[in-house]
Formats: sequence, C-alpha cells, structure tokens
Amino acid sequence: MSEDRFPGHKILPYLLIAPSLIVIFIFLIIPFAQSVRESLYVSTPFGTRAIFVGLRNYIRLFSSLDYKSSVVTTFKFSVFVIVVGLSVSLAIAQLLNQKIRGVGFYQIALIWTYAISPTVAGVIWASMFAPATGLIPFIISKLFRGYSLNWMTNGNLALLIVSAAATWKMLGYNIVFFLAGLQNVPDEFLEAAQIDGASSWKAFWSITFPLLSPTTSFLLFVNMLYAFFQVFGLIDIMTRGGPGNATELLVYKLYRDGFIHLNTGFASAQSFVIFFVISIVAIFQLRIATRKAIYSR
Amino acid sequence: MDLKKGFSIFLLLVLCLFFSVNVTTAEPVTINFWHAMSGSRLGVLESMIEGFNSTHPDYKVVPLFTGSYAETLTKYISSYPTGTAPHIVQVYEVGTQTMIDSDAIIPVYEIPGMLGETWDWAQYVIPITNYYSVDGNLWSMPFNSSTAMLYYNKDLFKAAGLDPKKPPTTWKEMEEIGEKFLASGVVEHVYSTGWPDWIFEQALSIHDHLYADNNNGRSGLATQVVFNDDFGHMIFDTWTRLHDKGIYIFGGTEYDANTAFISGQIAMFIQSTSSLAGIIKAAEFEVGTTFYPRFEGYPVGNSVIGGGSLWVTKGQSNEELRGVWEFFKYLGQVDVAITWHKGTGYFPSSIGALKTLLDEGWFSQDQAYLTAFLQILAGRRDTGASTGVRLGPFVAMREDLVSGLEKALAHELTPKEALDEAAEKMNLKLKDYLEFYGQ
Repeated sequence: MSEDRFPGHKILPYLLIAPSLIVIFIFLIIPFAQSVRESLYVSTPFGTRAIFVGLRNYIRLFSSLDYKSSVVTTFKFSVFVIVVGLSVSLAIAQLLNQKIRGVGFYQIALIWTYAISPTVAGVIWASMFAPATGLIPFIISKLFRGYSLNWMTNGNLALLIVSAAATWKMLGYNIVFFLAGLQNVPDEFLEAAQIDGASSWKAFWSITFPLLSPTTSFLLFVNMLYAFFQVFGLIDIMTRGGPGNATELLVYKLYRDGFIHLNTGFASAQSFVIFFVISIVAIFQLRIATRKAIYSR
Repeated sequence: MDLKKGFSIFLLLVLCLFFSVNVTTAEPVTINFWHAMSGSRLGVLESMIEGFNSTHPDYKVVPLFTGSYAETLTKYISSYPTGTAPHIVQVYEVGTQTMIDSDAIIPVYEIPGMLGETWDWAQYVIPITNYYSVDGNLWSMPFNSSTAMLYYNKDLFKAAGLDPKKPPTTWKEMEEIGEKFLASGVVEHVYSTGWPDWIFEQALSIHDHLYADNNNGRSGLATQVVFNDDFGHMIFDTWTRLHDKGIYIFGGTEYDANTAFISGQIAMFIQSTSSLAGIIKAAEFEVGTTFYPRFEGYPVGNSVIGGGSLWVTKGQSNEELRGVWEFFKYLGQVDVAITWHKGTGYFPSSIGALKTLLDEGWFSQDQAYLTAFLQILAGRRDTGASTGVRLGPFVAMREDLVSGLEKALAHELTPKEALDEAAEKMNLKLKDYLEFYGQ
C-alpha cells in the first residue's frame, strides 16, 4: 500500500507520521503507563517514598461509599447535560432556522455562551445563586415569603444548578452544529411532506430528525466527553464538589484526591477506571451511532 | 590563520569584559517567595517586599502569588523534587505537620546558627510561636497569624432593639439573640461563618478539648481523632439546630461569606481576624468584634492560631540563606510588622511591634483590633488541646469535616451520624499517614 503511494520511498511514510507518534507517545502513552504503575503504590506527599500495595487502591476505590456516590452523581449530571442540553439546543436551533427579522442577532445572542471561559461562567452562576447576596435567592425569598434558597446546604439543588450551568455553557456549541445540520436538510423534502398534508410536528420527526442523526450522534459523543472531563473549572469555581460531596463528579474527585490530598496512587487508580469506562462507552457509542446514523450520501 | 587568532583575542576580551562587569555590579541574590495572599493583603505584602528590596540592595525578593493556600502547598510539593522550589514558601497552619515530615525544609530555629548568629526567639508573641514549634523549637517563621472571633454589626443590633454593647458570649445567647433578630425582621438570617472546618477546631480548643489523640498530634503523630464524643456531637447539634431555625446560614468555605456580612445581610459573623481591615474598610456600619462564643459550663482553653507561616527550603547556598534570614528579620522589624497588622488585621508577631502600637494609641482608636489579641493572651496555652491540632493529612481531613457539617445541615444525616462518618474517614487517612511516618 505504502509503496504504491510513495514509490521508491520506504521510510518516508514512517518519517511523516513520526512526529504525531512521538507526541502521542510522550504525552499519552508514557504518562498513562506511569499512572497505571502509580496506581499500585502509595507514596508520601513529597513523593520521597513509595510502598507497593498491589490492588489495594482499587479495592478501596470500589468499597468507598464516596466513590459510589460520585459515580451516581456523574451519571445524573451527564444525563442532564446530554438530554436537556441537546433537546433545548435542538429546539432553539429549530427556532433560529426561520426566516425572521434580526435572526443574526438572536443567533449570536444564543451562541456566545460557548465563548465564555468556564471560570467566568462559574463566577456568573455562583454569584447569581449566592445564598445571602445573590439575585435569584433574593427574588425567590420575595416571591415565596422568606423561603431561603441555599444551594450551599442543599445537595440536590447544588447539583441541579451546576448541571444547568454546564448545560448553558455548552448550549452555544450545540446550537451551532444543529443549525448547520438543519440548514442542510433539503427544503424539497419538507415541502413534499407539507403537500402530502403532514403536520409540522410529524415532518420534523420523520424527516428533519433522521436527517440530523449524524449531527446528533456527533454531539452526543462530544457532550458526553464534555460532561465527563471538561466541567472541572465550573465545579471548582462553583461548589468544589460540595455541599457534602453532592457535586463531586469523578473527574473532580480525582483532582482533589491527587492534587489536593496528595494521594497520587489512589488518584491514579481512579484515572485508570475512568479511562476504562470511557473507552468502552466510546466504542459502544461510535458503533451504534455510525450504524444507525443516516448519512446523506 | 590571522583571522582565527584575531577572533580568539576578541573572544578573550569579551570574556574579560563579561567577568569584570560581573564583579563590579554584583547582581543581587534572588530569593523566590511563593505566597497565597490575595485581595487587599496582596498590595500590602508587595509594598513591604519593595521596601526590603530597596533597603537591601544585595538581595532581591521575588514574590509570586501561587493561588490559594492549598494550591500553594500543592505547587510547592510538586516543585520540590524537580529542584524548582522557591527559597521561601508560605504554608497555612493546616500544612504544618506535612512540612515538618517533608524532609524538604530547614527548621528556622537552625538558620541563625548556620549563619553564625544567635537570635532571641522570645521576642515573638509566645502563643503564636508555640503553634509552629516542635519540642520548643520554632520550625517556621510566623508571618500572617490570625485567630477566629465574632464580628457583629452594631447598627443592626440597634435596629433590632438590641444593645450593641452586649454581643453574645455563649452559644445559648447566640440562639436567644438570633431569635430576637428573626422576630424583629431586621435580617432574614442572623449569622454565618468563614472556614467552617477551622471554626469547628476553634470550638474544641476554646474549651480545651482535644481534636486528636497524642495530645493533638503534638507529643507524637496522632493515630485517631477524638472529637466525636458527646461534646463534639453537641457542637454539631447546636449548629444544625440554629441552621434549622434560620439563625445560622451556611455561607461556604474560606472567605465566601464575607460579602453577606459586609452588605448587612447578616448581623453576626465568625471569621478570621485577618478579614478585619478589609471588613472595616468596606462596611458602611459600625463593626464590633468580640470573643468567640462559648458553651457554658465547659473548661476554658484558648482560640487557636491560624493563618500562615514561612518555610525555608533545604539545599540553598549560604548567600541565599542569608538573604532569606535578612528578609525574615526585616519582616519582624517594628515598622514593617505594624504596616502588616494595620493593612490586614493579622497579629503583629513581635512584642516590640505590640508596644509601639499601644504607645501610639492604635488599640484605643479602634478597639476591634485588640479583641483577638486579648482572646489569645487571656486563654490557657499549656495544653495541646488549647494550642491547636497538628495532623499529617490535615488538608484532606478538614474536607471530610466540612462535608460532614454540610450533610448534617442538609439533614442528609443526623448531626451525630455526620460527625461520626467524618471521623471515620479522617481516621483512615491518619492510618495511611502512619504507614509512612509512624514506627
């Protein structure tokens, strides 16, 4: 194969892919191997001494109630971010895909959230909900005669607010892709459906939605990765995993155990477990998605 | 050939020039200093360091803000093995045992000897140096020391028909005054706290109650926490009850709740003395301060020292170490210590600075600055329980306590269950720590 494409150059193809291989090796493979090794040790905070403990870190991990609750929290959080995030952004994208006056303004107004850094988004949401000084607790206490909304002592509320913030943050990104997908849906199909007397609801589900499936499956994957790995900043600014571990997502727990509690072995074990789970989910999802998705050509 | 010769002569000349320049304008020795001072503290610190650099041309202290206390400690720990650690690092009191066991630092009491000097450590305020001492020897330089006290809003006391000269002394009075406040409708919640984990430690120490065994980890490494007894459960019960009544509003960790007090949303606030200057500056009401509330009928202890101290990294050249030491001496100078105290509210740590402040009438000008001092000087300091706890994995353990409190306040667990669960998690961490450092 390679000889066909690069006649007379046996080494050239390897040279060409070498840079990316080296990068992958240095930044992914070696650290990965190191963390697998570290997950079998416990070490002092300064890393001066390490004791081999075999699978103890893993045993502790799986028998830890905190870890189980973190798994459940992460699951709830991801489902919220993916389901609510995708449906809301699809609805908004559908609305934005109409020929109305000033649609450009609305598009920008709804898309810009993606440009905000997680830190800024976290600060905005945290100050909106600050128990004693925030705007929303203030409005609620005025509306409901002194009811005090304190997400710092209400775990479910905190998780809801953090999930909403994370969803909001990702909304712009999802809308852009859905909008692009919607604009690729040929008008003729919809017109034909209209002539056949299909309601717009029916037309959406039978024509637009299936034609959007490549976009949807792509966004599904991206949002899952987002919910798992990219919400660290938001959590750190807003709740730091609290109150009482209520918003401690897996990736945040890993950070705290590894970098604040300096328990690198335990954190490495966690990272290996996350890696394992995510790979399985990713393979599964890509297979299903590519098989089910209807590509236009 | 000629060209080559000419070139080597040129090179030689350049080298000579380079060395001679080096000799004549000797570069100042750089001292890197990592700290965690943000907000209004940062400006004060930077102006103090500028002062040092201009009065000590041989040295140049380079400060670097490395995030929160926990982040600074983490960065320091990861920098040490790679040889990029700073000369001086500011570590909060929670990290004390970790630093002692780190094998990465020089205890400060050894530094004057290493430089052929003697130094009288008794010139510092004893309850402060006690906290950072092992067997009577000082391991880190006290820098920003604080303790917890009760702040209150005198204007709100008046508005609620209460006497601003009679702030609560006990938790029972906290509750009574709290109920009066709620009945008056002046505020929706009455008090909050900063640093809930630390406020809990204060509640123990102020009643001379141990936090952990082995004399609070001061006579040997602690093997387990001992606060989950009747007394500890009572603290959690009280706080949960006050929270249920709406008197207490949980305001997050560290300094999150300061804005609630400054904006007059709450009438009382338990927080570090280090927030005093900031609160007085920002508040548009008369700020009162008083001692940390007590539980009646329990023994008297002392409030514990918090804040940070400065640790010196091992393996520096003699010149660098001298620079570090000169910097420490400078920070202890009366005028510098006073600038620090007035700008922040942290304790002036030397007796000389205290006397000068007294002489110039600072404390009578604003009595609020005296409260914390009287509190630590009045309490006992001959027991481990009143001196404060020292634990290896303290950073992580404190988080368990905060989660426990949050669970109790949210009624996820009963106060007793929440405290016991926290204690259990903390004991596991102590056990792991002993695996390395115990015998």
